[in-house]
Amino acid sequence: MTTVPTISASAIEVAPIRYADRTLSNGLRVLLVPDRRVPSVAINVAYRVGGKDDPPGRSGFAHLFEHLMFKGTSGTAPETMDRLTEDVGGFNNAFTSEDITNYYEIVPSNHLERLLWAEADRLASLTVNEANFATERDVVIGEYDQRILAEPYGMLDELVNREAYTVHPYRRGVIGSPAELNAASLDDVVAFHATYYRPDNAVLVVAGDLDLDETFAMVERWFGPIPTPSAPIPRVHAVEPPQTAERTCVFHAPNVPLAAVEEAYHIPEAAHPDAVALDVLETLLGSGRSSRLYTSLVYEQQVATSAYASADLREHPGLFGVRVTCAGGVDLATARAALAAELERVRAEPPGEDELARVRTQIASSVVRSRQTHGGVALELVRAATERGDPELVNGDLARYLAVTGEDVRRVANAYLRAENRTTVEYHPAVGSLRAAS
Amino acid sequence: MTIASSTIPAPGPPRDATLPAPVERVLDNGLRVVAFSQRNLPLVAAQLVVGCGGAAEREDEAGLSALVAALLTQGTSARGATEISAASDALGARIIAASGYDASIVTCGATTPAFPQALALMDEIVRRPAFAPREVERVRTKSISDLALAYANPSALARGVAHRVAFGGAPYGHPLAGTAATLESLTRDRVAWFHERFYRPDDAVLVIGGDLETDDAFALAERVLGSWRAPDAPPGERPHGEVPPPRAQVVIVDKPDAGRTALLAGRVTIARRSPEYYAATVATAVLSGYSGRLNQEIRVKRGLSYGAGASLAARRQPGTFFATTLVDHARAAEATEVTLATIRSLADAPASDEDLVTRKATVTGSFFRAIETVDGIAGTLGEHVVYDVPLGEMQEYARRILEVDAESVRAFAASRLVPETFVVLVGDASRFAADVQRAHGAARIIDARRLDLGSPSLGG
Repeated sequence: MTTVPTISASAIEVAPIRYADRTLSNGLRVLLVPDRRVPSVAINVAYRVGGKDDPPGRSGFAHLFEHLMFKGTSGTAPETMDRLTEDVGGFNNAFTSEDITNYYEIVPSNHLERLLWAEADRLASLTVNEANFATERDVVIGEYDQRILAEPYGMLDELVNREAYTVHPYRRGVIGSPAELNAASLDDVVAFHATYYRPDNAVLVVAGDLDLDETFAMVERWFGPIPTPSAPIPRVHAVEPPQTAERTCVFHAPNVPLAAVEEAYHIPEAAHPDAVALDVLETLLGSGRSSRLYTSLVYEQQVATSAYASADLREHPGLFGVRVTCAGGVDLATARAALAAELERVRAEPPGEDELARVRTQIASSVVRSRQTHGGVALELVRAATERGDPELVNGDLARYLAVTGEDVRRVANAYLRAENRTTVEYHPAVGSLRAAS
Repeated sequence: MTIASSTIPAPGPPRDATLPAPVERVLDNGLRVVAFSQRNLPLVAAQLVVGCGGAAEREDEAGLSALVAALLTQGTSARGATEISAASDALGARIIAASGYDASIVTCGATTPAFPQALALMDEIVRRPAFAPREVERVRTKSISDLALAYANPSALARGVAHRVAFGGAPYGHPLAGTAATLESLTRDRVAWFHERFYRPDDAVLVIGGDLETDDAFALAERVLGSWRAPDAPPGERPHGEVPPPRAQVVIVDKPDAGRTALLAGRVTIARRSPEYYAATVATAVLSGYSGRLNQEIRVKRGLSYGAGASLAARRQPGTFFATTLVDHARAAEATEVTLATIRSLADAPASDEDLVTRKATVTGSFFRAIETVDGIAGTLGEHVVYDVPLGEMQEYARRILEVDAESVRAFAASRLVPETFVVLVGDASRFAADVQRAHGAARIIDARRLDLGSPSLGG
């Protein structure tokens, strides 16, 4: 006799993240989370600037700029961040999304003030010369070649954004284009730093082995004197008009082992009340081996080798993507028909309580897991404070997930997974590639 | 505005971690249980360490322990592979099985309310695997295609060759993942035999900890695993081939289609229980990492490679030290000399205090990151268990690293890293073999197409 185990996600008791929240007089928002178990700290500095804010004719610039932030300042040599972190047993990195650029370091806690100093230093004065600008631009174009051109399906994300958005700058993606990166100049770098790298456009989050008063004093000491420019920060106000008819793009590329498709549906912004139900829909359809798409398309019907769903929630209205890669010998139309049937099912009837219980448990468990590390806690606060506008949202998310009903899931599936709201990108092996020749 | 570089604050005094103290008990069936309590988040982690892994395999059955571990989650007497993943997802659990040379390990993690059922599922996987013929074939096919993929990479191939050069036909010599030939020959019966013989409570340890009291952890272990019985037959003698004495030799695998040449300099060093372990760890750290000596000499000073590093694998029996890099074929001979000279530099003179302080910090820093999670603590304790290291050493780890002095690092390098360091090169031999032989005398050159990692002498 086998029993199928179940638990109720509401049984998972998660204490709220307790953080201190202050804003310096220059506008820098500072969130500190003391947790003294392990003697390390995670430092994140997030700037509210991302791919959508790239200057006109300079797509990819925010990401290129992220690379330049590692090239030294008036007082420090290139790779100072690496030396301050790696050499003391820590590490550092950064990422650029559509909406934010986030720089982070994890170091032993006795090095906290040195990193606050270094982050303040590169906010206050960035020094980039022609030589390291040109080198780094080549590195970023190399990244484009490697990730977008050389990888199988590398263009898929770019195509989805380009086709799904008509007026919103999300259509340009984050990595940009080599031609526009090559058009960028050192003047652009100076202007971009002056425009967006200012205290009132940043959130500093430190989580870990810290003392609140001492840390606020350190932050005030190094970030406090940095002036805030009087000019307003430019913001993207473009509003993507509602889509009224399906858009389809058929793409052929070399190095594509199996045909694939992505269907992308417009959804609201991350702060919208439907966001939680969309996250539940994502897990129900496409996370893990017990998800509907994996079970039906990959395991039972064997028409796909992989099938995922992703609620890509952003500061501005984002996309719900469903991506299917065909199984060998299966044509794309067959796989798409199987996908359509699953999407019809989720629109037609609410998921049962058992299935919903599993999804809630999966989501709650992954939220708890991500809170084990200082870095995980800090990043959760960064995203809530920037993309959703309020760090306190982190403490209500679990309750909001638990409150999502089967009817909510059916409702958002109906509201957004509609044909006229869909952009479809089909990705096929290039004519003349191995498969076509055989 | 600018911030003067002179104003960079000095680091404060380092703080130590407060680690939970492990407690242990032995159940009536012989299962040793190690428990710890850390109640900051509703998560519990467990790790079942079975005291046998690849080192217990026969030469002609290389890959058997890996195949057994891979099959555990692919079906039990009660559930098929998808039912296992459905049950695991319903609990929000993660259950993973893998084998190493000295042990096979099944990990299980879940939130506090889901954990008892997750542990029961892990127990079902460990005690009642079905080894259905269909799943055996599926995993066998996948393992063989994974091997082909792995050995297309010259660095992975160099490691495989280095194990043979270091250990010959001794237990750590054969590849843990097997070879295409051994995997082809393994039968379902042998899989079941290995499981029956070696997965047993009297040769296993359950590490369990996180959001529960240690007494409750013991009670849960008893309730779930208490009825596990050891087979009557003892585990039996494990094969004991002789480890060949260290010898300065150069083995070249000619692989003209490799993009670059993988270079590996290595030696058999110490067991994890050795008193030299902490000095060995610091010595390895002095050589590895971006600011480590190998990367400085090979990448920063000479631009021979994108990166170079070193790793120490101290095991139940003496394991390996490997220094590795990937270089242009034409510069492989030069990189070989630089690598050997850099290792020797550590044996010739004590490292500077400044060098030691930063390199030790990299060791303690990664240790502290590893123990941020309950899975990390369970994993660290699991390693202590596998290598017969007293559990209390986990609390002392950072202090013992910091106590290592320059002389003990030098002494370790002088006795364990040199002399008699071997070199393995995998790449286009026509571009470097003559230069290497001019410096080192005759090297053994093996055509990659005839290389056989299944043979202690590497075939060819």
